[in-house]
Amino acid sequence: MDKKIAMVDDDTDLLNIYKPVLEKAGYIIKTAFDSSEGLKLYKEFKPDVIFVDLSMEHFDSGFVLCHRIKSLPEAKKSKVIIMTSAGHETGIRFSTDTEEEKNWIKADDYLEKPISPRDLVQYLNEKIFKEK
Amino acid sequence: MKIENGKILVVDDEKGMREGIRRILEIQGHKVDTTDSGALGIQKGIATEYDIYFIDLKMPDIEGTQVLREIKLMYPEAICVIVTAYASIDTAVETTRMGAYQYIPKPFEPDELQILVHRALERRWYILEARRLREEQAKHLLEVAHEQSRMRTIINALDDGILIINQEGQAVLFNPGFLKLLDINQEISIGEPVLEILPTALRDQIKEIFSGKGSVNAIKQEITIHPPAKLVVMANTTPVMGKKGELLGVVSVLRDISELKKIDIIRSQFVDMAAHELKSPLTAVQGYLELVVDKTLGDEPDLYDSYLKRSLDRTKSLVNLINDLLNITRLEAGKVRRELNRQNIKELIIDRLNFFKNDISERALKVNVDIDSNLCVDADRDDLLRLFTQIIANAVRYNKPNGQVNITGRQNTHYVKIDFQDTGLGIKKEEQDRLFEDFFRAKNEFTRNITGTGLGLTIAKKIVDAYAGKIKVESEYQKGSTFSVYLPFAKQNNFTIKNSP
Repeated sequence: MDKKIAMVDDDTDLLNIYKPVLEKAGYIIKTAFDSSEGLKLYKEFKPDVIFVDLSMEHFDSGFVLCHRIKSLPEAKKSKVIIMTSAGHETGIRFSTDTEEEKNWIKADDYLEKPISPRDLVQYLNEKIFKEK
Repeated sequence: MKIENGKILVVDDEKGMREGIRRILEIQGHKVDTTDSGALGIQKGIATEYDIYFIDLKMPDIEGTQVLREIKLMYPEAICVIVTAYASIDTAVETTRMGAYQYIPKPFEPDELQILVHRALERRWYILEARRLREEQAKHLLEVAHEQSRMRTIINALDDGILIINQEGQAVLFNPGFLKLLDINQEISIGEPVLEILPTALRDQIKEIFSGKGSVNAIKQEITIHPPAKLVVMANTTPVMGKKGELLGVVSVLRDISELKKIDIIRSQFVDMAAHELKSPLTAVQGYLELVVDKTLGDEPDLYDSYLKRSLDRTKSLVNLINDLLNITRLEAGKVRRELNRQNIKELIIDRLNFFKNDISERALKVNVDIDSNLCVDADRDDLLRLFTQIIANAVRYNKPNGQVNITGRQNTHYVKIDFQDTGLGIKKEEQDRLFEDFFRAKNEFTRNITGTGLGLTIAKKIVDAYAGKIKVESEYQKGSTFSVYLPFAKQNNFTIKNSP
């Protein structure tokens, strides 16, 4: 069965870039522009992996979206991966440096932007779906 | 040691005696004044202090003892020699008791007189020298006392905390700033051991200097004091060395750097956000270019063309962002050289509308300008152009196709007020307060495809603030916004209004 990937990012260019590449690699991909659309998409589409941009609508919503998804009962089956171009923590919640933050957010992995399309495909193939 | 050229007064009613003494003493280089009566003697003797007074005991008007008393009253250290033809033990005793230096009976030999004067001047020298030393010492003591209290006042008035500790760890000196910064409420007196009440970090600094025996030059360290919370102190501890290079003690100077730390954090947050905003367009450009270069999606020339076009757009937005960042840095530097000139508002607005000509026609916007042609402010032209660029850019970019932009300029009591009204997307109530935050951009389904740096209004506000003006926004979501810029009007406008008939 084809793997389902969801991607939530407010930068439409990034969705433009990753969508055709992941499709070509054999994944089914759907996209959303913000966290409320993202949550809706997750519930309807039930993806295996959802990529969430950290800094939509002023930095916090990526975390909030991740937390909300992880609070759903069906979320056990899917992985939430946070993508971020944020630097080190400077008071604003850019990163997940502390254990406390990690426990609250419960993201499965963190990727730092920029991520080349090639690397993203490789990441899915070799890290996420390899064992399956 | 003696005075070489003495100043001598002779008080004697007998002319031969007066002139005799004068002649003998003047030969030796002394200056001799004479008077022929007791009354004049007192007058002259008190007016100036002489080195030696020769006083005749028996004078027709006033007794010599009276003259002696008056002079001694005025100058207790004066050297008075009593001259008399009627020598008696009684007068000798009496005048000596009154403070006379010597008693010389008439007649006397010149030699006798010279020896007497020689000794008297010797004595006089010691008296004057002692007096000089006394005065100097008094003056010095006064200076020292004055200097100490002045230093004390200065040290006590310092915001910085100062603590001096000797090798035994006892407080030698500290000021109120020290107690305040370290939040020490207990009473400390000089000579009391203080190491134990100091924050650990500071105590360690001091101990390190002591254990280095002078080999450690200075230790500078940030110390966080809690409580009171959030107080960050820069502690600078240096050794106090004696003349032989031995370690006498340490001086710790404490400075409250809490405010600096706060600024530091804000600054690094800004840098972090800027880096983040710079990375976003780069991520897109890099992604697009990789697809084009690798031909990842196969033979799709049109698609790749569109990718290149988007890359170009994002690169342009990146340049805009960098320019905005530079503008902000420039505005924040606070040492901007502004050339204040009379600026015509209407002319500048027309200039900016021309700048956005293409964007306006692309969206088929209708622009109305209603500004008094005489409306002026005193400002730097570049500042105003930058300000209007930012606001008109928003009115154009966030407008709906076939929308309107109405720009009106009016002068009210204190300000020139320029309104930029658009029929654009509007701003949600909850987002209006955040409009002027760095990098804030209203994000919703309508704004998604509008590029912007999130710094435009930050810049606009900084410019307006620099002229003691203000910027306000009224907006209704999905209906449109009005940005109002208030700038202090050119002084002459005021003048013209008051004086116009």
